Amino acid sequence: MWDTIIIHPMTNLLLLIYDLLGHGPHTFGLAIILFTIIIKVITWPLNASQVKGAQAMQELQNDKEWQEIQKKYAKDKEKIAQEQMRIYKERGINPFASCLPTLIQFPIIIGLYQSITRALSITPFDMLKLARTIYPFQNVEGIIPLNSKFLWMDLGRPESIQILGFALPTLAIIVALTTYIQSKLTMPATSNPNDQSAQMTGMMSIYMPLMLGWFALNFASGIAIYFITSNLLGIAQYAATGRANWRNLLPGGNKQTVKKK
Amino acid sequence: MLLGSLILSACSGGRGVSNNWHGLTADSERAYLSDGTFVYAVDLKTGKEVWHFPPQADSKMMFYATPVLTADGQLLIGSAGTKHPFYSIDSATGKENWAVPFTENKGAWLASPLVVNDRIYAPNTDGFLYTIDMNGKSAADPIELGGALWSAPSTDGTLLYVTSLDHHFHVIDPTSGQSKTPIDLGGAAPSSPAVGDGMVYVGSFAATVEAIQANGDHKVIATADNWIWGSPILDGNTLYYADLDGKIYSLDLASGKQNWDTVQPDGPVVASLLVVGDQIYVGTEAGTLVALDRDGKTLWDKTVGGKIYTTPVLSGDLILVAPYTADFILAAYDAEGKQAWIFTPVAAK
Repeated sequence: MWDTIIIHPMTNLLLLIYDLLGHGPHTFGLAIILFTIIIKVITWPLNASQVKGAQAMQELQNDKEWQEIQKKYAKDKEKIAQEQMRIYKERGINPFASCLPTLIQFPIIIGLYQSITRALSITPFDMLKLARTIYPFQNVEGIIPLNSKFLWMDLGRPESIQILGFALPTLAIIVALTTYIQSKLTMPATSNPNDQSAQMTGMMSIYMPLMLGWFALNFASGIAIYFITSNLLGIAQYAATGRANWRNLLPGGNKQTVKKK
Repeated sequence: MLLGSLILSACSGGRGVSNNWHGLTADSERAYLSDGTFVYAVDLKTGKEVWHFPPQADSKMMFYATPVLTADGQLLIGSAGTKHPFYSIDSATGKENWAVPFTENKGAWLASPLVVNDRIYAPNTDGFLYTIDMNGKSAADPIELGGALWSAPSTDGTLLYVTSLDHHFHVIDPTSGQSKTPIDLGGAAPSSPAVGDGMVYVGSFAATVEAIQANGDHKVIATADNWIWGSPILDGNTLYYADLDGKIYSLDLASGKQNWDTVQPDGPVVASLLVVGDQIYVGTEAGTLVALDRDGKTLWDKTVGGKIYTTPVLSGDLILVAPYTADFILAAYDAEGKQAWIFTPVAAK
């Protein structure tokens, strides 16, 4: 079911792009980049909705009226919940607007990852699975195996560059860096030192770059190409919507003065 | 996103090499089986483990190639993990004789090496054929062939024949290290060529069998309905091969005609066939071991379990089968299809 609905179409799209690009050296890397762009464009409305929803929820945490309600009814959780719903209704905030698109995107993210891994087919068993994945219209004999070379990388293996005898994992560093920048840019300024949401977001902006950097360090570099492209497109998307918080890249840049309502 | 990362971690197969089926070989006393983390030696009389290598699991090393046993008792196999040393193991004790470290940027070892005249010819997924002496020292410059090399070279005693996933068939003179102009097979070639009577026979994902002469002349002599994965088996004047549709072919090389119409057991066939005497043994993806006679008639079939992708091996009176994704990793059958024992490893410490 998962394979039929998600993996097969995605893998075939990836292979189709690869074939259209001429399936020569370096084209699989380009295919991953184009593939990521296509997926990003398709999911653009979802991402925009998620950003908007997250911003609205974050702004609520900094809202004076909401902070006073929390203080006033600190011992009455039911009343806080009622007031919260009232504010949601008055301001047209959908509390699911930030998490629903994320949930919808999960299958896409996981599918992307599995499609790239499957297309690379670095073992005979992977190749056998790929054989069952490819649609009949594809130029199977011509494109298999994929040429996994891209620039200096073998996209089927972890990447590193030898510098003075030391293997420098450049892609892993770029993945960590772009993930950090993206998460910082999307972090709204906060004035509430007790804002748990902001604290969690702050922690995530540290853990996520480390985690994705670790993935890039240990897994096929084709995945790192996807992460980097996805991060750069995410940064561009935030910048295009005018919501990028560039000050967050500076130390202490996520503080703001309290808005009075 | 965090959840997504955890799921990625759980479902990923991206580490150097994800997973694969077993490699199997045997001498008269033991079977030697690669099973990812370990290589096992299994006593053929009892079906019990004799030793495993390495002594402790190392997540950066994986073994999937078919181990090769040399005349002086070395067992040769390379790692397909993120670290990929090439090992010589003492087949009697399971201790390491030597290891060629190879650096991180060399590819994984999925192919078995070929040992000829005290030289080890080891094809790598980085597209190079490496030459090592019997003490683990480099014996010649690596030969760049291109494409991932997944199968052991074959030889006629003079030349080496190597297939590549990049669709090419290579003829190499090992004394000079020179490679002749490669032949385009029209599809990836994941298995070793069959050699005999001045000809070389190669199957490929183009669903064809090519007959190639030492001078490079070649032609398609047979086709299949789907990818040909396993090596063609030359037996006298007959060439046996199978395809991913599960069809078994018997080609009369003299007439160029198939000996039977349709012989198709219960599942796709990836493994090479095992031809012994008057019987042909077939392992199918459905997990069945099938014995055919020379006319393609089924003599018996046994449900082994799991999926059989590894070529069955004969040792003495036993037919050894290494199923993938079964509860055990090795089973032994006699010539009538009666199970002698199964082997389940207990080494995962």
